[in-house]
Amino acid sequence: MNAVPPSALVLDGLVVGAMLFALGLVGILARRNMIVMFLCAELMLQGISVTLVSWSRHHGDWGGHVLVILVLTVAACEAAVALVFVLQAFARTGRLDAAAWQSLREANLPRTVDRELPAIDTVPPRFPKLTPAGVEPAADEDALLEREQV
Amino acid sequence: MIAAILPTISPGTLLATGVAASAASLFLLLPRGRTGTAERASRWIGGLVGMAALAAFMALGHRLGSPGEDAVFLTVALVAVVSGAATVVSRSPVYAAIWFAMSLAGVSGVLLVLGGQFLGVATIVVYAGAILVMFLFVLMLAQPAGLAPYDRVSSEPLLAAVAGAVLLGILSLSIGRLTTEPPACCLTPATKATLLANSAADAAATDPGRVDLLAENHVARLGGELFGRHLLAVEVAGVLLLVALVGSIAIVARGGADDESADARRAIP
Repeated sequence: MNAVPPSALVLDGLVVGAMLFALGLVGILARRNMIVMFLCAELMLQGISVTLVSWSRHHGDWGGHVLVILVLTVAACEAAVALVFVLQAFARTGRLDAAAWQSLREANLPRTVDRELPAIDTVPPRFPKLTPAGVEPAADEDALLEREQV
Repeated sequence: MIAAILPTISPGTLLATGVAASAASLFLLLPRGRTGTAERASRWIGGLVGMAALAAFMALGHRLGSPGEDAVFLTVALVAVVSGAATVVSRSPVYAAIWFAMSLAGVSGVLLVLGGQFLGVATIVVYAGAILVMFLFVLMLAQPAGLAPYDRVSSEPLLAAVAGAVLLGILSLSIGRLTTEPPACCLTPATKATLLANSAADAAATDPGRVDLLAENHVARLGGELFGRHLLAVEVAGVLLLVALVGSIAIVARGGADDESADARRAIP
């Protein structure tokens, strides 16, 4: 057993991992868009990765690093399969809403009922525009004629 | 000024403040179907409370030694955590995906600081380069124009925020306990002597299995470990990738077979 307490860097890394994991948990529980839910699951995996690498540094051992590489692999597989599921679900219901599948819920749970949402006061997005570079030259009619002949 | 106030606050109070503030901030920031002034006010207050929560956790954190190290770690950790929070609370899924990419950049920085040189780069390449692009492709295929109603509401925002904050509090508490030694009353002289000897001796000297991860040829030695001791895991991961590939194609092919029934179901309001 290793009685040496973890260094300050390891402890801080563990706290960052815990924060990312908790944030991902909040997203999974609260959000209803299925793609955002999967992004939050990936956020939890990131928290786990940071924790594993911290412990790897503490123990001076490659195990954590190898495990994180496996986590990356599993995350890639999970994303592929999950996104196919999401696309199929979207093809069937036309929505990315997790509550569209609430008929799968437990029998004793209440139904999620959407109330009417107030309309958003839409402000059209202001995208940056390129400034025109110089003045457009006046078209020379003779040159236009010549160009048509070419 | 902060340094003058901080010693007067006990770590327990600080942790409780951080947990309560993060719960309140996440609740305020999560979409709750509001519009106009209420929405804007909720976002501003939520952001300010979130900054207070981050400050509390920063005050709880340990100093790394030199101000430079502190600054680097703090920067990458803040990028990771703040972008992660923005991923969770973004209304538009496209913005959520882009915030997630930003969070990945921060996480990769944290991994680099922690000594995972290969993993820091691999996270960017695999996640931001491949997985995130796949997410964005699906979003482009499936996202309706504008904000969908289900993006503007959350299921149980209060309970979710409290659950996350409580989990964070418990984890921080147990991480904080890792450094605290057992109280002096309960130490027999023998255990005290052992503890002292252990902490005084360099871990590298006492533990023959310990390697210095930061020595040169990091990636080569990681590869040696991966394809030596963990060869079976690599093979299993390869099979897993193949299974996922075949499985996804099978699901897509099967889903195409009953498209007509799906169309019929969609026609029913």
